[in-house]
Amino acid sequence: MNRQRRPRPLRLPVLAAGPVFAVTTALAVTTVAACGSAASSGSAAGQASSGPITIGMSLPMTGPVADVSKSGYQGYELWATQVNADGGLLGRKVKLDMLDDGFDPNQTAADYTRLISQDHVNLLLGTFSSLLNAPASAIAARQGMLYVEPSGGAATLFTRGFTDLFFAQPGTTTSLPDQFVAWIASLPASQRPATAAYVTQDDPSASPAVAVFRTRLQALGVKTVYYQVYDPSTTNFDSIATSIAHDRPQMIIQGAVADDGAQFVRSLQKIDYNPKILFQTNAPTDEAYPSAIGGAASANGVFTAQSWSSTATYPGNQGFVQAYTKMFGAPPTEDAANSYTAGQVLQAAVKAVGSLDQQALANWLHSHTVSTIVGPLKWDKAGDPEGSLLLSQWQHGTLQIVAPASAATSKTVLLTKPAWGNG
Amino acid sequence: MTELIQALIFGVLTGSVYALMATGLTLTFGVMKIVNLAQGAFLILAAYLCYTLWAHLGIDPLLGSLIVTVPLGVLGVLVYRLIIERVQRVDHGLTIVVTFAIALVAEAIIALVWGPDPVTATPAYFNKAFHLGSVSVPAAQLYACLLAVAITALLQAGLRRTWLGHAITAAAENPDGARLVGVEPKKIGTWIFAIATATTAFGGAALSFLYQFTPDSQDIWIGLTLSVVIVGGLGSVTGAFAAGVLLGLAESVTSTYVSVRWAAAVPTILILLVLLIRPQGLFTLAARQDAAA
Amino acid sequence: MSLARTAVTSHATTIRRAAIAVAVVALAVFPLVSNDLYYQTMLILTFLLAIGATGWNIMGGYAGYISLGNSLFVGLGAYTTGILAAKQNVSPFLGCLAGGLVCALAAAALSLVTRRTRGMYFTIVTFAALQLLAIVATIWSGLTGGSQGLALPLPEWSLSYQDWPFYYSLLGLLVLSVAVSAGVRRSKLGLGLFAIQDDEGKAAGLGLAVSVYKLIAFVLGGTFFGVAGGIYAYYVTFLNVSAVFDIVTSMLIVLAALLGGRGTLWGPVLGAFIIEPLANLTSTSLGGADAGAIRLLLFGGLLGGVVLFLPRGVLPTWHAWRRKDHDHPERTVVPPAADVSPGEPAAEAAEGTSHGTRSRDGAVLTVRGLAKAFGGVRAVDGVDLDVAPANVTGLMGPNGSGKTTLFNLIDGTVRASGGRITLAGRRVERNGRPARSHSGLARTYQLPRLFPSLTVLENVVLAERRLALSRLFLPRVTAAERPRALAVLAGLGLSAYADASPALLSYGQRKLIELAQVLWLDPALVLLDEPAAGISPALSQRLAGIIRRLRADGTGVLLVEHNVAFLASLCDRVYVMADGRIIARGTVQEVSADPAVVDAYLGDQVALATADQAAASHVESAS
Repeated sequence: MNRQRRPRPLRLPVLAAGPVFAVTTALAVTTVAACGSAASSGSAAGQASSGPITIGMSLPMTGPVADVSKSGYQGYELWATQVNADGGLLGRKVKLDMLDDGFDPNQTAADYTRLISQDHVNLLLGTFSSLLNAPASAIAARQGMLYVEPSGGAATLFTRGFTDLFFAQPGTTTSLPDQFVAWIASLPASQRPATAAYVTQDDPSASPAVAVFRTRLQALGVKTVYYQVYDPSTTNFDSIATSIAHDRPQMIIQGAVADDGAQFVRSLQKIDYNPKILFQTNAPTDEAYPSAIGGAASANGVFTAQSWSSTATYPGNQGFVQAYTKMFGAPPTEDAANSYTAGQVLQAAVKAVGSLDQQALANWLHSHTVSTIVGPLKWDKAGDPEGSLLLSQWQHGTLQIVAPASAATSKTVLLTKPAWGNG
Repeated sequence: MTELIQALIFGVLTGSVYALMATGLTLTFGVMKIVNLAQGAFLILAAYLCYTLWAHLGIDPLLGSLIVTVPLGVLGVLVYRLIIERVQRVDHGLTIVVTFAIALVAEAIIALVWGPDPVTATPAYFNKAFHLGSVSVPAAQLYACLLAVAITALLQAGLRRTWLGHAITAAAENPDGARLVGVEPKKIGTWIFAIATATTAFGGAALSFLYQFTPDSQDIWIGLTLSVVIVGGLGSVTGAFAAGVLLGLAESVTSTYVSVRWAAAVPTILILLVLLIRPQGLFTLAARQDAAA
Repeated sequence: MSLARTAVTSHATTIRRAAIAVAVVALAVFPLVSNDLYYQTMLILTFLLAIGATGWNIMGGYAGYISLGNSLFVGLGAYTTGILAAKQNVSPFLGCLAGGLVCALAAAALSLVTRRTRGMYFTIVTFAALQLLAIVATIWSGLTGGSQGLALPLPEWSLSYQDWPFYYSLLGLLVLSVAVSAGVRRSKLGLGLFAIQDDEGKAAGLGLAVSVYKLIAFVLGGTFFGVAGGIYAYYVTFLNVSAVFDIVTSMLIVLAALLGGRGTLWGPVLGAFIIEPLANLTSTSLGGADAGAIRLLLFGGLLGGVVLFLPRGVLPTWHAWRRKDHDHPERTVVPPAADVSPGEPAAEAAEGTSHGTRSRDGAVLTVRGLAKAFGGVRAVDGVDLDVAPANVTGLMGPNGSGKTTLFNLIDGTVRASGGRITLAGRRVERNGRPARSHSGLARTYQLPRLFPSLTVLENVVLAERRLALSRLFLPRVTAAERPRALAVLAGLGLSAYADASPALLSYGQRKLIELAQVLWLDPALVLLDEPAAGISPALSQRLAGIIRRLRADGTGVLLVEHNVAFLASLCDRVYVMADGRIIARGTVQEVSADPAVVDAYLGDQVALATADQAAASHVESAS
């Protein structure tokens, strides 16, 4: 024991250091903020009457839906380019102010807040998926700004009483089943499927639609033999496929969102079960779908619903397809078309009203029909469109529109799905 | 009755694949007491590598897995030497946090290299099945199961019969004693991590032809593999195999007879039950490691 | 304390207080002078993160339980508030209090989990619990809206007030959480939590009701999470299960606390103020298809970097650097060392004041048929043992005979397979360690176990004779305890180390401090595990003196030793153990002569050696 050693007192970190650090950072933040806001408040007035019209948007350019967002954004870009080539909106050029939220709804909220309060954008355009549009539409509503969104059709978006929210597709998720149910109803009773199995991912873009399918098909006499909801993380569909096959339903309706569609089909193939009718939401329109299930031949006969088709003859649609392919070197996807449509809706309102008064724009849209590449769009007072989505079917390697008749690209409908891989 | 047999078959096949995917985690968890949250990311990386070999060179993933063990083994050595070993020395409790960081970085690199689109390998057998009466045995699952059995047997033999295997077991049971007989835990640690990460190649290969995957698929697999390891118990490779099969059976039976929705909760529920009731796992005899001392 | 030292400390305190006041005022005034909604938003998110990190710090920084399930609590608070607002029209500012309550209950449940799982297993449990709750919330869609989400009513105040209600309520909550955290640190509760982090078993052995401490810590942390979560729900107006119960948010909270300094007061706040603006900056300045991947890379890199290179966090590292650079030996004011060898009178002070009236009837410790088997090995095989009050009883035996296991059985570290233990008239074999300690038992270890996060003085006063919740509010070292503890240290010649870390003590000094801890408990029975091992003869004399004092005051002592001379000088009787059983009892002389004992220690060689010796001395005496 060394008695000469003088021990240093143990200084517990209660000294000034901690709070001083925190304080300095806080003060730095507030100083920058104060300077920032002083700078930007000067320019707000400047943007009001001259210079470009800025349109703000926060998109999930990165993250789980990045592949989809890329073409979605390109749709917006094409629209803006065409508007500017035509002389702009109200004589002013249009400029897109895009932020990336990485599919994080908190970031979406922060982004739209920033766009409105810091960047002082003149107009807004919506983002992709109901998950992100939910907080964004709330912010737009609070700030009294028009919000036209291209893709996010969950019913919950339209039940909050927002008067300045508009959906730029012909129908929401709840009206997705319309054309298919109408087609089943048009079949003589002997040709209708007797039994059906329903399986869906727990997702706002799929499960509500499947619930409606069941209710309406049951009313037509189709017996439900299976109804299950699966977790989004489900990767293995073998058990589900086998359980379904066990009940031998003549029709299967799946609320798929992404790769679960192809996964489910693979499981059906493995057990060699071939339903007479197969309807899947979303998945069959994926580029990767045919190859993931073993070739386009395997897709033969599969039904799905679409908001847009490149072969539809609505005014401007073919022009859109050509211009997009020329500008980006690849044909447009449904997401690109949806964004383009949203732009068209916004453009129509601004042109007709002649100003950027958000309330006036919203009022105009509530009382008029807008002609777009997905057909004529008309909304109820919640912003819910009053049309329905297209019914499509894979036929011999191509995805054809079979209903409604005004947009159909194929007059025939395959009544029975051929065995996997034949066609 | 057929439904039950079918459910059981699926359970065993799927479960053995879970066990295969969890092999690396079993080794690091059991021997080094490290929860490697990057296991899912390594699996996905291996899957992408096997997919690339298949898509560009036409090499079947089952064969490709042998090739992929090499880069993954090297990765394991680097990760251990440069990162894990350092953190372990300073604060063992934070190693789980640093492995989460590694998982994020790995996911980011995978996304930068391969992009976000979902991919899957589709060798000839990917959607075929063998039919025994009215029961079907999917071919891809069967091959994956056989691979799992082979790897497990190989590892078990390695642990029992080779010097390295004995050293690993010794270091697991008694680090100080092991040091006394010349087994340096640091060197053993490098070997263990290398082997653990290399075996992930096989799990990844199975993943590549069984499922579609994207860079962020790793979230799903880390929960499943963690469940296998916790239920199986500390470091027992055969225990992990049994646990994987148990997990697969539980999922399959729940999905068929209870509700598909709840099947997704099975791995998590098992983790909680085992940790709260028998933390040393269901398939080992070891005493509780964290008992109050 | 010298005047210079006091002056330095109070100068630092003044700076600190002024700095805090300025910061709070600046933050409070900010929304009034700037109408920039974007920065209000950023500060709101920063406050949320800081509150979460501060709450986490109480569990993970003070008590040492690293939880990865933080979004679980935030989510519970958010959904409780959301459900009350959406379905019952309860204002979210009231609903968030309900959210806090629900979280407090959940946190209490979690603290119960720690009885079964510690360390890494606990962390995994929190991870799994988060996943499970997410799934349950999605399935229970009738209540939570499931995957469709839950929409809250929009705020109804005028737009000219922007986000002020959120801003000020969160700022207030932050101030409150830091105040509570500071209060906990300074109190006996905080002292106990840090002790639990260092060595939970030893803390229990000193009488701390560790379950209660942890429960309180968890409930405090959880409540803050819950209330903050409720306000957050109102702020975002739309809740989605996967976005709320998200592992990355959990990790962000952990990162904030780690970055700033786990276990410090201001570390979590500092960490939050660094991370949130950084996250915002990266998301707005990075563009392009790869931005998400790059952000993930940065987040992972930052998390890994902090754990690798700055494991203690910014604040403690900065302190350590400053101490290295600016440490002047002459500024380290040390009280004059009262380190003259004290002898008996000081040992008297070491024992505290409430002695003398110990009952001398009946055994202090009675053990009957105590047994413990590990698998097939019977480490302790039916031991009967008595220790009388005012008596020193020794326990000897060859290595591996089960002596330490026996100690572990008596003090509760290990649960017995069978048998009875009676302590001062009470049956304790089913009790936990704190209860046994409250019944009058105390123990030292072969390798002394002290708490490195506490000062030497705090180590001495830590022990608790009984559970009293009101005691937890007292300062770490009360005005009454301080002089008494200093006297104890003076008696041991260690007063110079009072405010130092036990890491600075030598082996022998640590043994003395451990003994001081034991004496602070005023026990009826003291178990000493090889007290004389590895120390100088002078120190072992002092130890013997302390032990004799204990006996004189009526305490029973059971001590394990190999040093036969030490035992002989002190013990009234000894027991000899071999292979888990008592093979002899009596005085030291009696057992030394017992052939069974000799055999146990030395085996047959002794018989031969003594025979040789006898033969040799025969030969010598003959010639």
